[in-house]
Amino acid sequence: MALNRRNFLKQLSALSLIGTQSGLGGTALSALAADHSGYKALVCVFLFGGLDNHDVLIPYDPAEYNEYANRRSSLLGLHGASRARESLLPLVPQGTSTPTKNWALPPELPSVKTLFDSGEASLIANVGPLIEPVTRQSFLDQSVRLPPRLFSHNDQQATWQASAPEGAQFGWGGLFADALLSESASADTLAFSTISSVGGGPFLTGRRAFPYLVSGGRAADIFLLDELDDDESNLRAHLEQHFKGDNYSGSHLLRRDLQNSYRNALETNAAYNAAQLGAPELATAFPQTGLGSQLRGVANSISIRNQLSVSRQVFFVGIGGFDTHDNQAGSLPQLLSELDGAIGAFAEAMRELGQHSNVTLFTASDFGRTLAVNGDGTDHGWGGHQLVVGGAVAGRQIIGTPTPPVFDHDLDAGGGRIIPTLSVEQFAAPLGSWFGLSNEELAFALPSLGNFDSAGLDLFAS
Amino acid sequence: MTPPSLDFSAAYLAFSALTLSRALVFAVGALLAGCGGGGSSASGDRAAAPPVLAPPTDPPPAAPPTSPPDNPPATVDEGITIFGSRDAVFTSRASTSRFLSLATFGATEEAIDNLVGTRAERWFLDQLALEPTLMTPVFEEYTNQFDSLTFLPVSPNTMGFWRHAVEAPDQLRQRMVFALSQILVVSDFGGELLSDVPSAVTYYLDVLARHALGNYRELLEEITYSPAMGHYLTYAGNLPADEATGRMPDENYAREILQLFSIGLVELNDDGSVKTNSDGQAIETYDNRDVTGLARVFTGLEFGADPDGFDDESELLSTALSQPMTLLEFNHSQRAKEFLDTAIPPNTPGTQSVSMALDGIMAHPNVGPFIGRQLIQRFTTSHPTPAYIHEVAGAFNTGRYLLPDNTAVGDGRKGDLSATIAAVLFSPEAHGSKVAGSDRFGKPREPVVRLTQWMRAFAVDASRPDLAPILHDLLPNELLGQHPFRSRSVFNFYRPGYVAPGSLSGAEGLTVPEFQITNASTNPGYVNVMTHFIFNVGAEGEELEELEELFDEFGLQLDEEQALRSFIAGYERERTLSSIPESLIDHLNTLLAAGQLTDETRDEIARVLDLTPDPNQLAGEQRLEAQQLRTMLAVLMTMTAPEYLVTQ
Repeated sequence: MALNRRNFLKQLSALSLIGTQSGLGGTALSALAADHSGYKALVCVFLFGGLDNHDVLIPYDPAEYNEYANRRSSLLGLHGASRARESLLPLVPQGTSTPTKNWALPPELPSVKTLFDSGEASLIANVGPLIEPVTRQSFLDQSVRLPPRLFSHNDQQATWQASAPEGAQFGWGGLFADALLSESASADTLAFSTISSVGGGPFLTGRRAFPYLVSGGRAADIFLLDELDDDESNLRAHLEQHFKGDNYSGSHLLRRDLQNSYRNALETNAAYNAAQLGAPELATAFPQTGLGSQLRGVANSISIRNQLSVSRQVFFVGIGGFDTHDNQAGSLPQLLSELDGAIGAFAEAMRELGQHSNVTLFTASDFGRTLAVNGDGTDHGWGGHQLVVGGAVAGRQIIGTPTPPVFDHDLDAGGGRIIPTLSVEQFAAPLGSWFGLSNEELAFALPSLGNFDSAGLDLFAS
Repeated sequence: MTPPSLDFSAAYLAFSALTLSRALVFAVGALLAGCGGGGSSASGDRAAAPPVLAPPTDPPPAAPPTSPPDNPPATVDEGITIFGSRDAVFTSRASTSRFLSLATFGATEEAIDNLVGTRAERWFLDQLALEPTLMTPVFEEYTNQFDSLTFLPVSPNTMGFWRHAVEAPDQLRQRMVFALSQILVVSDFGGELLSDVPSAVTYYLDVLARHALGNYRELLEEITYSPAMGHYLTYAGNLPADEATGRMPDENYAREILQLFSIGLVELNDDGSVKTNSDGQAIETYDNRDVTGLARVFTGLEFGADPDGFDDESELLSTALSQPMTLLEFNHSQRAKEFLDTAIPPNTPGTQSVSMALDGIMAHPNVGPFIGRQLIQRFTTSHPTPAYIHEVAGAFNTGRYLLPDNTAVGDGRKGDLSATIAAVLFSPEAHGSKVAGSDRFGKPREPVVRLTQWMRAFAVDASRPDLAPILHDLLPNELLGQHPFRSRSVFNFYRPGYVAPGSLSGAEGLTVPEFQITNASTNPGYVNVMTHFIFNVGAEGEELEELEELFDEFGLQLDEEQALRSFIAGYERERTLSSIPESLIDHLNTLLAAGQLTDETRDEIARVLDLTPDPNQLAGEQRLEAQQLRTMLAVLMTMTAPEYLVTQ
């Protein structure tokens, strides 16, 4: 299955040709050369269900706040004091892309606010799946190519991760990893380059890269093998061979796939756990939450990067519950607190490991949500806001275009579903450049990138 | 929908893994120690042991198995060539076992004995005639046992699932319920209302059970009014639009009933292939305007129970969630409702709107191939051929299917599920040469079904699943990654269109849903869970202390003896075969793997058994242990072989 290097290069050059025809010329992206040096990691925190953008970046100027409060009165009534203007955490951005209006975070995000203020986090406003730029008019006229199956959870999750709806094979996390993997990388190095604590999903699948699932910071063992002692080494060896499927030599495709899956699982898990032996405990305490334990696992993997023989890693973690059709005031604040606590601890752990500037964390989510309230919740939207956190990030910015808290403006696709002003691929491109991809490699991983004006987001301090 | 929530109780996992690990130390360690750790030394031990120590009741050693022999070593072909030229006679033990493993929660020795030589249509029609085994009596039994609506942290629906899978006579219907529960998903995952008030899912499962072999249109209607779905897809309490505030009806159910429960996203031909427009692009079945129009239909539905007569709020809630929702006309949208080809005029009453909407959905030509393909995937093969889908969709659409002996199944109305499942099980596409020579027909057995198969094959006492803590939640990736009625989201454990990246099947574009839960965590997890059961770890009593604490907390008396014999296999038949490994392996190959193990795998199991003490060289307790060890190893190796994991 692994594509050989020559074919890979051939495909790349074919794609960059197409890219040129559609406008991706040498000037389209700053001419960065591929950079393979040092250690770098990307961490995708996926917020399953669709994070409500309107409940994360809240208008702070009094007139706009009142407009917002009116539009969302039933929901704000349920939120109570936490969405009162004086409870919010106002953001004071710096830099050239500062929006004209003032915006604030909800009070459940104090760590994010601290990271923002200290220049280690930025918000990317109104980003979402696009094939080419869309305006309200072109959306209504249907005169523009739209991502298929907008507003559908599984399809928009796949589109965020892999630029295509459900069934997509290759995600940009996996393709980024591919680009930085050496030709001679071992099977274990391949596995440890793309680690997930969440099953399924195409994000970490590349032509060579494939998501390796570790939960709780330790790879799964087969207990029976562990319990057989040295007296039974022969039995142990036979059983291990059997569990790896070594005795099957048939041609059935599904059986061969399972055989490979078991073999890879056993071998890679053993290597991962061996690498952990003697690894120092992290001093940073993580919250006892689902996301806290997942990000602690990521920090553990980063702490043994040398033992794992990796110089580039892409991680995928996630929590669900963001599909707040109902009881949004009850559930969303808890989820935001979980997110905030885990991100704060992770940033601290990266400082502890001295990898603060080598690790960039970002959020992603199915879609934003409607400004319209359906009673006590909100429905599926399109564009949303995401966070980027890390020592290398050009922090304290709100990049992009937050929309006013009213209906029927120029970016309203109906009900306050926001037409994105930045495509997911525009968002992903600077992450890839920072990770070390060349422009050609980026164009391969992000097929629609050339359709956008690509001055590039100033996501990273130069 | 309830989104994928990926948290799980780390504490529970730690507990589970610890228990398993500690118990295994005991089980395996004790066995190997008891067996002297090797064949030759064991033999020497016996020679040294005075014969008088052998208990008098010990059966004479070296008796060759006298029970009816299995068929000669089964070949792959025999296991899958069931119905040559439309003849549906169960010709061999292996082919009988195969059919039962597809259509039930697992073959049993007794069922195979009874069915060999009979016609499969007979079995099928007998199954159709059986009364549904329902979940409500299990719920009531647990409510009475605990004398309140407070349950142990284990769902009565989980309890009922294991019991019914092992013991219910209406196996085909129960398998349909499990299949439908993975298409029309509600879930008690996440510790919310549906786990706190389990009567909602109990009621829902009984809706599935009553209609599982009935009509899909009627099933959709009962589901629409079910409180479990109303809560899970958030339309219970849904209000019409309010211009003043910009409030819109909740669109969740409107979207998912189209996308997941009926027509899917793109237009299909009857053979499941995607219709394309002149540009070669798939044609989408609906857009957001259809969803907005349909969302108006699902307004005004409310949990219904008269608060009079309840002094206890939890009792009221439990009752309200176990009866159809009420449609409150004053909360129902009065506007026109338009979607797909359906136009419901303004001011149409709510119940009539729902009925018209479901008729409109059901009339769509996608429903047959869309639902039919998914049912095929749950029963026989992951990537059905167009001809297979066409046959099943035809049975769904016409409401009729002719069995090989020309018995007609179905009442002739679109959506007849007995006709549909008949087509799934009896189609020539699922038997004979279409299967035997294929390198792609078949499916990974679902992890939960592998476990029920073990339970049934070895006739364990399944009456008290609450006493086997590992059965309370097998969803974590460290275990099976699947648990009945507990998917992480409305998108089930896996998607019907899942193509495994980086795989041989994926390179051929084959959909294999179960591969979505096949990974570096669930693979060892499955081996560990099976080891726990196969090695009778529960009988070691390692879990009793935790169980006792749990029961104490709820003021209940723990029946320790019952706990020690719950889900424990006696392996009586297998032990008698164990001194001749080939006999034992043949027997397990037929019973568990429908004769599909390859010679290499059979030889390897035999080599491993030869590493263990020969029971015939031992006496008394040691002999018993040697028999058990061989049996357990052979069962585990059979149930972890690729030819078993993927059934053809």
